Amino acid sequence: MKYTSQSVALPYFIAAIGLFVGQIVFGLAMGLQYVVGDFLFPEIPFNVARMVHTNLLIVWLLFGFMGAAYYLIPEETETELYSPKLALLMFWIFLIAGAATILGYLFVDYNTLAEMTGNNILATMGREFLEQPLLTKIGIVIVALAFLFNISMTMLKGRKTVISIVMLLGLWGLAIFFLFSFYNPGNLVKDKFYWWWVVHLWVEGVWELIMAAMLAFVLIKVTGVDREVIEKWLYVIITLALVTGLIGTGHHYFWIGTPGYWQWWGSIFSALEPIPFFAMTVFAFNMVNRRRREHPNKAAVLWALGTGVMAFLGAGVWGFLHTLAPVNFYTHGSQITAAHGHMAFYGAYVLVVLTIISYAMPLLRGRAANSQRAQVVEMWSFWLMTISMVFITLFLTAAGILQVWLQRVSDTPMPFMQVQDQISLFYWMRLWAGVVFAVGLVTYVASFFVKGESKPLITP
Amino acid sequence: MSGTFTKAMARNIFYGGTVFFFLLLVALTVDTTTNLHKSDNSANLTPQVVAGKHIWETRNCIGCHTLLGEGAYFAPELGNVYPRRGPEFIKAWIQSQPTGAPGRRQMPQFHLTDQELDDLVAFLKYTSEINAQKWPPNIEG
Amino acid sequence: MARNSGPETTARRLPGDLAIWFFILAELLAFGVFFVVYAFTRANHVELFNAEQLTLDRTSGAINTVLLLTSSFFVVRAVQVAEAGFSRRAAPWLAAAFACGAGFVVVKIFEYAEKIGAGISLSSSTFYMFYLSLTFFHFMHVILGLVIIAAMWNGARTGRYGPGNMNGIETGAAYWHMVDLVWLILFPLIYVMR
Repeated sequence: MKYTSQSVALPYFIAAIGLFVGQIVFGLAMGLQYVVGDFLFPEIPFNVARMVHTNLLIVWLLFGFMGAAYYLIPEETETELYSPKLALLMFWIFLIAGAATILGYLFVDYNTLAEMTGNNILATMGREFLEQPLLTKIGIVIVALAFLFNISMTMLKGRKTVISIVMLLGLWGLAIFFLFSFYNPGNLVKDKFYWWWVVHLWVEGVWELIMAAMLAFVLIKVTGVDREVIEKWLYVIITLALVTGLIGTGHHYFWIGTPGYWQWWGSIFSALEPIPFFAMTVFAFNMVNRRRREHPNKAAVLWALGTGVMAFLGAGVWGFLHTLAPVNFYTHGSQITAAHGHMAFYGAYVLVVLTIISYAMPLLRGRAANSQRAQVVEMWSFWLMTISMVFITLFLTAAGILQVWLQRVSDTPMPFMQVQDQISLFYWMRLWAGVVFAVGLVTYVASFFVKGESKPLITP
Repeated sequence: MSGTFTKAMARNIFYGGTVFFFLLLVALTVDTTTNLHKSDNSANLTPQVVAGKHIWETRNCIGCHTLLGEGAYFAPELGNVYPRRGPEFIKAWIQSQPTGAPGRRQMPQFHLTDQELDDLVAFLKYTSEINAQKWPPNIEG
Repeated sequence: MARNSGPETTARRLPGDLAIWFFILAELLAFGVFFVVYAFTRANHVELFNAEQLTLDRTSGAINTVLLLTSSFFVVRAVQVAEAGFSRRAAPWLAAAFACGAGFVVVKIFEYAEKIGAGISLSSSTFYMFYLSLTFFHFMHVILGLVIIAAMWNGARTGRYGPGNMNGIETGAAYWHMVDLVWLILFPLIYVMR
């Protein structure tokens, strides 16, 4: 750690991991509800568990992105953070608001929550991933603006590197596109159309800038490859990501009441969306192969390479599988979508946040790298979580193929619930894979507490 | 093959390409918006439908069901539930939840008034008449 | 850099910046997929496509082909002049290239006005969807190309380019040639081939 203000990243990272654990607990509960339908009913119905599962994911990833920004921006700009106090204040506001929202989901009836929090003034709730009460949404905007102010002011007084500029662009884009979550017209088609301006332009747009910047930062640090080289490729990769991803939004406009030409535009451009992910994988491996130093933090290198591979598989390959309109006609809104969603989020965003945590955490704790033993445990957790996520994806894909066949393709289509019974075996296997994932996550958390002789920090 | 590869040029192409494709997205969005009335069934977008959408949202229906294929995959697609089941069945179904059948997936009881049930059904009817390019493939959704 | 280090290496040198070649490849891929999809769709709706292709204005298409080819030639001349060390003399060539490109835009606007006047839109039919999508996508490339040529013209005027600094002008030229190349496929494919 070169600048003392970088230490504000620490609480952000700890909160991210804590909320990640919460996300997986609810994921397991839902996995069980898929096969034992009345599990936890009526205390925690599926819709509540899912809302907690997805919202915790978003919130902990945002904690991860903000922590990453607070860590890497001072180092990149070679100056102390504009206001570490503001960063800490925002941390507590965001954590308390987030926790209050989750508790609201769990202990207050959703309709009552909506009435209590001003949803009748401006109705924004009850849409997938944007279930947050109006007050929480406003809170997110305030925290994001204060955060962006802090980071931008830091940038203005320091060195402007490509990584910090791309990171900042991504974060500004994140805040700007979130504003579409306040637009909820009565016209369902318009509602859905602009809903994707938050969801798609986040995960297949500006978040990719954040992800690429974080990955590039860690790669520079652990490989020692020339910054010039890495930054040039960073530009090329994010160009490809936005060139394909922006019009790729069209793959969500096939069947929601929008004009038919989106089937052509969406199919063609989203068919090219695997390219930037492939480029990112090649890039990560290439840089590691050309490394000029052996960084003592082997675990961070593993997470970084894993990000490349799993993002390509989850977002690239599994996305492509069902992105063409004639295929998507049958697979839209099936378990295949769920399979893609799980692996893409894990591969791209979970792993990139864990990459930066893996790299930065030892430094924040005053050492160059964790002890050999701790790193071995951490790498075990990588493999446990990654392999079990591969299996979750495979089982959901199998369930999805069967579901599509029985419910949509066959000459005698079966009703939804009958099909669900037919494919419950795959849901059971998905649940067990999920249990292994949870074991991996426990292993991950445990790795922070493994003692042993760590590499001392040598300041150059 | 040798050549030049500069950071400044990579940066210019990034900004140029991003602006270009964002403008293209905006252009397509403008066309979509101006032509949306042909497919979005807005002619039937009555205050009752809007009230029904509000019921749909404040009961977090999307947390289990899909609507035009978007949402959770735990419970049936409801974009075409109106032609599949008809208004009376839908209302009776909502009122009789939860079934309490052991081990089966359960839907909460929302205590909707008759007016709210009618609003919700109006919303589902309006949704089923949106031109979704012949999706879903069949009535089972 | 291999510049000025003998004929062998010069012959193998990639003109322009590597970054633009990634961009050009991505663009050609997008156009290429679009063209292939068009060809397959056309094969399935031959009669519709044949009938509606007749409504297109081939004369304006032909004029535009000439304009783009001429424009590309002017850009080539500009690059040659700059390579010879006369950056400022490249400026008029680029201005001429810009004028031809602008001519393309004007002709295209008239063509679109006529089509829109006839009530044709992206949703009219599968053929018109392809016609408008592909030509408009290309049209936007021409506009971006004109912005680039304007920037190159400004650079040439201020004497920026020369044997030691050809990257900017070559990169822009590569992009403009791609825009030209795509039109040379697009025009026969959409307007002429039946």
